[in-house]
Amino acid sequence: MDRPASGVSYQRFPRVRIRELKDDYAKFELRDTDASMANALRRVMIAEVPTVAIDLVEIEVNSSVLNDEFIAHRLGLIPLTSAAAMNMRFSRDCDACDGDGSCEYCSVEFHLAARATDSDQTLEVTSNDLRSTDPKVCPVDQARAYQHALGGSEPYDTATAADQRGILIVKLRRGQELRLRAIARKGIGKDHAKWSPAATVTFMYEPEIRINEELMETLTLDEKQGLVESSPTKVFTIDPNTQQVVVEDAEAYTYDDEVIKKAEAMGKPGLIEINAKEDSFIFTVETTGAITAYELIMNAITVLRQKLDAVHLQDDDGDLGELGAHLVGG
Amino acid sequence: MNAPDRYERFVVPEGTKKVSYERDTKIVNAGSFTIEREDHTIGNILRMQLHRDPNVLFAGYKLPHPLQYKIIVRVHTANLSTPTQAYTQAINDLDKELENLKKAFEDEKIRYEERPKQGY
Repeated sequence: MDRPASGVSYQRFPRVRIRELKDDYAKFELRDTDASMANALRRVMIAEVPTVAIDLVEIEVNSSVLNDEFIAHRLGLIPLTSAAAMNMRFSRDCDACDGDGSCEYCSVEFHLAARATDSDQTLEVTSNDLRSTDPKVCPVDQARAYQHALGGSEPYDTATAADQRGILIVKLRRGQELRLRAIARKGIGKDHAKWSPAATVTFMYEPEIRINEELMETLTLDEKQGLVESSPTKVFTIDPNTQQVVVEDAEAYTYDDEVIKKAEAMGKPGLIEINAKEDSFIFTVETTGAITAYELIMNAITVLRQKLDAVHLQDDDGDLGELGAHLVGG
Repeated sequence: MNAPDRYERFVVPEGTKKVSYERDTKIVNAGSFTIEREDHTIGNILRMQLHRDPNVLFAGYKLPHPLQYKIIVRVHTANLSTPTQAYTQAINDLDKELENLKKAFEDEKIRYEERPKQGY
């Protein structure tokens, strides 16, 4: 086998096509790369793109029915707008403070004070009652309501009345009170799922469906109907004009092999062939609202590049080390 | 409580090298890279990229234990290359691929947002 000298590049040039892009949702095609790259991107989006979430809670008064740690946990899970997270510092390597959350580079302080006054109504304490000290970081539904108040000309506006109520933290009965100070910090999903910006990130191989038209012609209309119906998802349909079996939605196929088994059961193996294209992926990305879907994708690429940069061999154990070892007697 | 800190899973402890290379004692042009605090994300893309290099005779990675936060990438090359050269090349290629991908996404976003104006 002919082998080129080392130092030749085997780089790929992936192609992208966006099908749908909303604030918290994206669907796109990724081509000319392999499953390892698609999966690395997926894994980074879920576990390694940083966001901001409440991490430290000091409770001053809590006479609600929920205990302190229960409330602290619920506060942590509230998604906060994290567009600035990529440029923030992790508290553990912030040198401007001791990681106690008193510095602007690594933390944001929140205050919450709620007391059910003497009415018979239960008071719902929600994320809307959280007061942030930094306008860039606030609960995502507050940010959305704010956008709405500004004129509400979001291109992908999906806000409904239900969104305006905020995320429920605890309900207070007459006389009960909740007062606390919370510190939000930057973190990643690997540390705790509350920092994951991803609601779902999935990818599938693009299916390639081939129908053997010659063999298909030998089928009666009833048999064709049976074949179409054998698929649990609506992949095929019958063209009302030509009465031919046509692919309606190739991506509805779940790689269940049902139509192929059906074709074999009818004594027509090879009637339909379905292959997964190994260099073509369809991604679905949904975020919690902490960052936009586009930001999530871009940040994932940046984070993955940082990770690759970190695994570069250092000079002292690089080529020289190899050469030196050979000189000594390799 | 004696639970270890959660960040121990992804922060390289002080005094530990992120990557270390150890030559195979019996085979020339073979050796393994131990990468601290990395997992399948890096291991698998690195392995697949090494497979694209015809000078690489073998490339594989393993996560020795789920509670040891490191991976071991083993590489064996033909004599025109060395494991360190192949390893460095693979990382550089992946980095360029991602640089390209980022650019592709930026261009595609512009194209996607221009589309409705053109009356598609």
